[in-house]
Amino acid sequence: MAAAGIKLHSSCRARQEGFGLLFYDNRGPRLLFAATGTLLPADYFGTVRGRDEFPAGTSDSEKKALKKFVTQLLEKGFLHEQ
Amino acid sequence: MSNKYVEMGMRSPVNLTWEVTQACNLRCTHCLSSSGEPSKNELSTAEALDLVEQLHSAGVFQINFGGGEPFIRPDFEEILAACHARGIMTCISTNGTLITPELVARLASNRLVAIQVSLDGAVRGTCDAVRGKGVFDAAIKAVKLLAVTKIPTSINTVLTTHNASEVPAMHDLATSLGVSLRVSRFRPSGRGADNWEALRPTPTQLLEFSDWLGKSGDVRTGDSFFSLTAQERQGLGLNLCGAAKLTCCVSPSGHMYPCAFLQSDHFEAGDLRTSSFQEIWDNAGIYASFRNLRIHSCEDCTRYDQCHGGCPAVAWHLKNDINGGDPECLERCVTTIADNQRSATA
Repeated sequence: MAAAGIKLHSSCRARQEGFGLLFYDNRGPRLLFAATGTLLPADYFGTVRGRDEFPAGTSDSEKKALKKFVTQLLEKGFLHEQ
Repeated sequence: MSNKYVEMGMRSPVNLTWEVTQACNLRCTHCLSSSGEPSKNELSTAEALDLVEQLHSAGVFQINFGGGEPFIRPDFEEILAACHARGIMTCISTNGTLITPELVARLASNRLVAIQVSLDGAVRGTCDAVRGKGVFDAAIKAVKLLAVTKIPTSINTVLTTHNASEVPAMHDLATSLGVSLRVSRFRPSGRGADNWEALRPTPTQLLEFSDWLGKSGDVRTGDSFFSLTAQERQGLGLNLCGAAKLTCCVSPSGHMYPCAFLQSDHFEAGDLRTSSFQEIWDNAGIYASFRNLRIHSCEDCTRYDQCHGGCPAVAWHLKNDINGGDPECLERCVTTIADNQRSATA
C-alpha cells in the first residue's frame, strides 16, 4: 500500500531559528540545522503532508530545493512516511 | 557546518542543565557543585512548574536534570510530568542510590526519560573512594533495574587520575549490563576544585583517553551541549563550547549561568524570580560575552578547528581568564609531556 504522506517522527521536534528550522531527535539526541529561512513554518510537518506539498506561494526553484530537503529528512529519520 | 548557525544566535537553548536541588545524600570528592545540604532558597514547586512552562514556550527541547540528587526533591516526579506533558525530553543524572523498582516502573511509563547513573570506577574500591562506601553496589543495582526497561540508560563516569586506567573495563561493564558509557571531564569546580590536584588526570592519561575515545565509537562525552560520540560530534560539525549558545544552567534557587561549571556571582546571567527565562537568555550581558568569545591565543594552533579553545570553565578555574584557552587541552598535554621529557634529560 502506498504511503499517504509524510509527518514529523514522534521522537522529533522542530523550531524556527533565524537561519531556518532546527530539528531535534530525542533518540540520539540528534540535531539537524536546516537553512530553510522562512520557507516552512516549524509546525509544517506536524500534520501529514504529501511529499510534493508545500506552502502556497512557494516558487518552483524553492519547491525543488525543498523536495531534496524532505528526502534528506526522510533518510535521516526526522520525517517518516504514514 | 553547524557552528555557523549556532554563532548566528539561537532563540533559546537546545537543552539546559537544571540543578533542581543542592541536596544530596552523598559527598563525592569531585562534585562540581559541592552538593550536600539543600540551598536555603530553592525554587518552590509552583516556581519550578512555571519554569517548565517558560522553557516550553521558549522551545527548549531537552532538560538535563542534576543537582544534588534530583530524586531527593519530593516534587521531582511532578516536575518531570510537567515536562513530559509538554513534549520536553528529560535526562536525569542520578547517583542511583534512591532508585527503586517502583520508581523505575513509573519512569519507564514515559518515553521522554533518559537516565545517567554515576559510577566512577570499574571496581568497588575505586568508585567508593570518590563517592562513598557502598555506592558502587547501589549504583550497579540501579543500573540493573533500569537496563531491563526501555529507558535509555548510561553509566556516567568522571575521568580522574584514579579511574583513567579502568575506563576500558568500565566500557566492558556497561556493555555487560546492557547500557552505554558516557565519560565526562573532571573540572576544578565545587569540591572538584578542593581536590583538583589529587584527582586530575595526568597529561598522558588525557591523551590516552582521547585516543581510546576516538576508537570507541559508542562511548559518549557530555561536554557543553550534548552527549555525543566522537563521530557524531564530527558529523554534526559542532565543536565549540555551547555555553550560552546551545545550553545554559539553572541553579536550585533559580539563578541562570552559562553552564553548570560556572555558577558564581561573576557569571550570573539573571534571577528567574525577577526576570523571565526568555528575558535572561536574550539580554544577559554575560551570555553576550560568551556568544562573542573568541580565543585568539589559540587560533594558530593546529587543533583550533577541533576545539575552538576548549572549555572556558576550566580556563576560568585554573587561570581566572576565560579568554586564555583551556589549560588542559590536548595540545597543551602534548607540550607538557615534551617539556617534562626535556627537563628530565637536561
